[in-house]
Amino acid sequence: VKITGVATRSFPAAAGCMVALQSDEGISGVGVSRRDPHGDLERFVDEVLVGEDPRAVTGLWQRMLTASARGVSGGLESEVLAVLDVALWDLKAKSHDEPLWKTLGGTRPRVKAHAGDCPSAASDADLVRWYGTFVRDYGITGAKLRASQDRDADLRRIEMMQRLLEAHTAEPVLMIDADERWSPKESVGRMRELEERFDLTWVEAPAARWDFLGHKRVSNGIRSAVCAGGRLDTLGSFLPHLHHHALDVVQIDTGRMGITAALQVADAAYGFELPVALCASPGNFDAHLAAVLPYCMSMEILDPVPIQGTFTTDVRIQEGWAVAGDRPGNGLASAA
Amino acid sequence: VKITGYRSEVYLMKMDRAVGDANLPEGVDLLPGSILYLETDENITGISLGFGGGAVKMLFPAIEGADPREAAGLWIRMNDWLHKAGNRGEGNAALSAIDIALWDLKAKIAGQPVWRLLGARQGRVKAYASGLDYCLSDEELFAFYRRMAEQGIDSGKLKVGLDLKVDLRRLGLMREALSIASARPQLMIDSNEYWSPKQAVRYIRQLEERFDLLWVEEPARRWDYDGLRLVSQQVSAAVATAENVNSLADVYPLIANQAVDVLNVSALHSGVTGCRQIANMAHAYDLPVSMMNCQANFMAQLAAALPNHTMMEVVDPGREHCLKFSSRIEAGHIELGNAPGFGIEVDETRLAALQANPPVGKGRFPFPRREGAGRYLVPPAQGEVPWKRGRDPQP
Repeated sequence: VKITGVATRSFPAAAGCMVALQSDEGISGVGVSRRDPHGDLERFVDEVLVGEDPRAVTGLWQRMLTASARGVSGGLESEVLAVLDVALWDLKAKSHDEPLWKTLGGTRPRVKAHAGDCPSAASDADLVRWYGTFVRDYGITGAKLRASQDRDADLRRIEMMQRLLEAHTAEPVLMIDADERWSPKESVGRMRELEERFDLTWVEAPAARWDFLGHKRVSNGIRSAVCAGGRLDTLGSFLPHLHHHALDVVQIDTGRMGITAALQVADAAYGFELPVALCASPGNFDAHLAAVLPYCMSMEILDPVPIQGTFTTDVRIQEGWAVAGDRPGNGLASAA
Repeated sequence: VKITGYRSEVYLMKMDRAVGDANLPEGVDLLPGSILYLETDENITGISLGFGGGAVKMLFPAIEGADPREAAGLWIRMNDWLHKAGNRGEGNAALSAIDIALWDLKAKIAGQPVWRLLGARQGRVKAYASGLDYCLSDEELFAFYRRMAEQGIDSGKLKVGLDLKVDLRRLGLMREALSIASARPQLMIDSNEYWSPKQAVRYIRQLEERFDLLWVEEPARRWDYDGLRLVSQQVSAAVATAENVNSLADVYPLIANQAVDVLNVSALHSGVTGCRQIANMAHAYDLPVSMMNCQANFMAQLAAALPNHTMMEVVDPGREHCLKFSSRIEAGHIELGNAPGFGIEVDETRLAALQANPPVGKGRFPFPRREGAGRYLVPPAQGEVPWKRGRDPQP
């Protein structure tokens, strides 16, 4: 199998773009990025990937990193490299005629799912609708709230979220997303106040993404776990966090890391006995990856099904789990 | 595809020459061998070479009926299966053997060599020569490294630890033998945990007055991260270790405490899956890994796919009498070819013959630790090694 070129298709409605790597055998590998690729994607693919065998995913990831660092085609952003890696893995799985989870070596293609942040500007009514849908239609038992400037509103909204989940489970999993907007000490203060009333599983991004000392301070100061890493885009950038035991849950965004580097980070985290959480992914295709991670805790869901008319997925959210299907590849396909 | 059964064959092999280190300088030429066959409902058989032995029976229920393409998930299941017993000793050997046979199956089902399945761009791995040579005479030592250099190998690792003067002389011989492959051969030494940390520092520094060493292997005990780090800080050479710990869980303290500069990994590091976990964690720390020697160099299939792999150890003492394989050494590299799976087949007739008539020779199972280790040097006695023949009245 040889790579012959690349094509893209934008979805203005969903603020996304499908990237397809074509091969000489008629199959193409796809990935979806959250926005249109910046930089000269076609030239980069021509110089770095065309003529290569897509089954060499690990080697090609190294090749892309090196080429991008050397500035081939001006260098591509990590998010573009990531979607190319996802497309390569899709091609590899399709060339085996098997679902990605099986190509990766996974046994059970399912992972615990939690509801992601309700868009923060939403009213209380929007919030009830958002989490209510997850609970009613998808059996979700865990949910995350993005903290706001209004501390009383946050207390009220966590309670609403908790009540909604309690309709479905006696043990709701509650999480707070600080979204890098607090200083470490502010995180400790805010979390201690919340922890007086709620049992919280984790606080996400309670310090700037690179501030491993800050994350460690927060973790030492609160009961909840510190979950971060979702804004990091290289294996090396996880090193200080892991080495200094700054995180309790290692969060990975395949939209920034691709699959190859995500697997590497997950193995490193496993060495530290740390669970891994996955950020929301297009069509929730990360369920394929989760099946093979040795210590995967939960996967974030923002869209249980993709927006109509964009693309389709074979990952279903049911009874609180994300379950990958058996379609060859990562299950993502352009909608007709 | 479903796993339906297994067959395990054990045998004794006699190598073409003896191998020895600081712990057993007189060497052995007998080795126990074991071959695991994992059978499926589609007539494809997965093979693994190693030390699987009897404990496979305990683990087999964890994978019976499963699809071998789910190898990484099945590794987790086996690791969980061993939770209380621990992924160590015989359990580890069995887990490793099964995992390798699963990857062999997965690759054969895909009709690809393992290196391609694992995502490597080339089935090619840089090799270094390792004589396991404390039992060789100076002439044999030179001949071994010269033969390797003739195949383009420009790096060598010498067994050392018991006699500084002799080790200096033999390092010079190794360098000279390799000098036809490179003007600056890369030199490594291995003392197999014979020294205490400070003893290692003294010894290595004296070697370093005359030789530039790439790495020193196992200069302190396998678990002693304080001692290994001390050596690394006090000598120029890198510290290589980890061959005698078997999983990521056991490697973790070495990495996290910055006690290791190069990680020696092998099939016994919990198979392909476990070995890759270790390599990935090392990669996060920007540490290289080096695959250890094995029959037919089959683990080069994984090494080819590891982004942080440096060189693989090649010994070539003749351990493949009942195996058929297509990999070869060319221009200093192991060339793996395109045979599916690990590219290994068993010559059943020769295996049966070995089992019916076990060879006779020198063997020590399990391999011991030498007197004085960690406390004081006990140099070989007269006649214990060919390089110390004593004052034999020769004409």
